[in-house]
Amino acid sequence: MEPLKKRMEVKKITKTFFGKKGYFTAIEEVSLDVYDGEFLVILGPGRCGKTVLLNIMSGLEEPTSGSVFYNGEEWKGLNPEIGMVFQKLALMPFKTVMENVELGLKFGGMDKGKRRELARYYIELVGLAGFENYYPKQLSGGMQQRVGIARAYAVNPKLLIMDEPFGKLDAQTRYQMQEDLLKIWEKERRTVIFVTNNIEEACYLGDRIILLSDCPAKVKEVYPMDLPRPRDMVSKEFLHLRTMISDNTDLSI
Amino acid sequence: MERMNGEPKALRNVLYWGLPVLAIGLIAIGWIAFSGSNPDLMPSPAAVWSRFIKTFTKPIAKTTLIGHAWASLKRVLLALMAAWAFGISFGILIGWNKKARAFFGSIFEVIRPIPPIAWIPIIIMWFGIGEFPKILLVFIGTFVPLVINTSTGIEMVDRINIQVGQIFGGNSSQILKDIVIPTALPSIFAGIRTSVSSGWTTVLAAEMLGANAGLGSLVTRGWQGSDLSLVMVAVITIAVIGALLSVILQKLEKVVCPWNH
Repeated sequence: MEPLKKRMEVKKITKTFFGKKGYFTAIEEVSLDVYDGEFLVILGPGRCGKTVLLNIMSGLEEPTSGSVFYNGEEWKGLNPEIGMVFQKLALMPFKTVMENVELGLKFGGMDKGKRRELARYYIELVGLAGFENYYPKQLSGGMQQRVGIARAYAVNPKLLIMDEPFGKLDAQTRYQMQEDLLKIWEKERRTVIFVTNNIEEACYLGDRIILLSDCPAKVKEVYPMDLPRPRDMVSKEFLHLRTMISDNTDLSI
Repeated sequence: MERMNGEPKALRNVLYWGLPVLAIGLIAIGWIAFSGSNPDLMPSPAAVWSRFIKTFTKPIAKTTLIGHAWASLKRVLLALMAAWAFGISFGILIGWNKKARAFFGSIFEVIRPIPPIAWIPIIIMWFGIGEFPKILLVFIGTFVPLVINTSTGIEMVDRINIQVGQIFGGNSSQILKDIVIPTALPSIFAGIRTSVSSGWTTVLAAEMLGANAGLGSLVTRGWQGSDLSLVMVAVITIAVIGALLSVILQKLEKVVCPWNH
C-alpha cells in the first residue's frame, strides 16, 4: 500500500490571547496531519480552542507560534482551496438559498448562468431542491445547515472544514443530518475536517478521531476507526470504542 | 400573528378597527367642546373646514394650500436626496474604515448635538433667505441621523459574516457590497425613516422664519394675522403629510428588505 498523501500538516500550533487581565492560551502545541480524502473528526469536549484551531487552519487567524503546511509547503493567510461550514451557520439573511449557495462562485467572478447551474446541483445534492427562493429565516435549523453545506461544497474545495455543524440541532434531526452528510460525502468525495463535541457523532462519522483535551486544547490521543460504514451505533464494537474514548475525555462542565 | 386571545376573530377585527376610530372621535369631541366654550382660543372644526376651502378659492401669496404643501415637500425632497447620497456614503466610510473613523469621528461627534435650527442665524448671514439656505438647513438636520444609523449598522455587522466573505474568496469591496451593506440595511433604513421625519420638522421651522411659500409660512402668517383657523389648517396638513410619508416608508422598507417580513 502506498503511503497516504498528507493534505495538511499542523505543526506545534499555539494560540495565546493577550487581554487587559493577562493572557489566555486557547490551544497549546497542537500537531496533527490531515490525509488526502479522509474524514477526520476533531473531538473536543472543551469550550475553547476548536474554532480557533480551525480558523488557523483556514488562514482566518494567525497562530502565536507554530505553522501550517498545505500540500507540503508552509502556508500563511487564507487558503482558496479550503471551504468551510460555520458553527453559527452565518448564512446571509438577506440572500435566498440560491444566492447564499452561489456566494463563493459570485466572488470568484463566475457568470450568473453558470453559477446558478452549479449552485442548483449542490442545492439538489443536499436535498433542498424547490427551496431555492426561500430566505434562511423560512427554513428549519437542519435545512439551514444544509444550505451551509451546499455553500461550502459549491466552491469545490479540496479541503472542507466543518465546525460543529450539527451542534444546535435536536437529536432526531442530527442523526438524519449525519447520515445524509455521509451520503453526500460518498458521492462528492472531499477531504473533510469535522469538529464536534459529541462522542457518538465522532464515532459514527470519522475515519480517524483526534481527541483534544480541555483548555488549553492539546492533542490527547488519535483513534483510527476501522469500522465499516454505515456504522451501527448499538453494535458491540461501536459501543466499545465509544466507551474507550469517553473514558479518556476530560469532563467539561 | 396567529395568537389566540380567546376572543372570536370577528370581534377582534371590529375591536382593532374600532379603537383607532374611537380615539380620533374622542379628540374631535374634545375639540368641539373646547372650541365651543373658548372660541377665541380655538376655532371650531367647522371654521377650520371653511378656512380650508378658502385656501383654494382665495390663494395666499398667490398660492393654494396644495402649492404651499408642495413648496415645503420640494425643499425636503431635494435636501433628502442630497442627504441620502452624502449621509449614507459618509456613514459607510466611517463605519467600515477605521482610519476614516479616527479622522472624521471626533469632528462629527462635536457637530452632532447641535440642533439644526441653531444653524439658522449663521446660515441666514452666509446665504440670505432664499431657497438654498432652507434646503441646506434641512440637509444638516437629516444628514446627522443618516450618518449615525449607517455607521452604527456597518460597525455592528457580526465578524463571522465578514469571515464568511473571506473564506469564500471575497475581496474587501465585494465583502462590503455583498455582505456588509445588506446586513446593515435595516439599520440604514431606520436612518432614512428618522431623516424623513426630522427633515419634515426642520423645513417647517426654517419656513416659519421667513418664506413666501410653504406650510411653515402659513403657520407664521396665520399667527401674525390672528387667523387661528389658518394655523390649524396648516398644522393639520403638516400632520397628515408627515403621517403619509411614514406610511410610504414602511411600505418601501418591505420592498427593500423583504427578508425581514
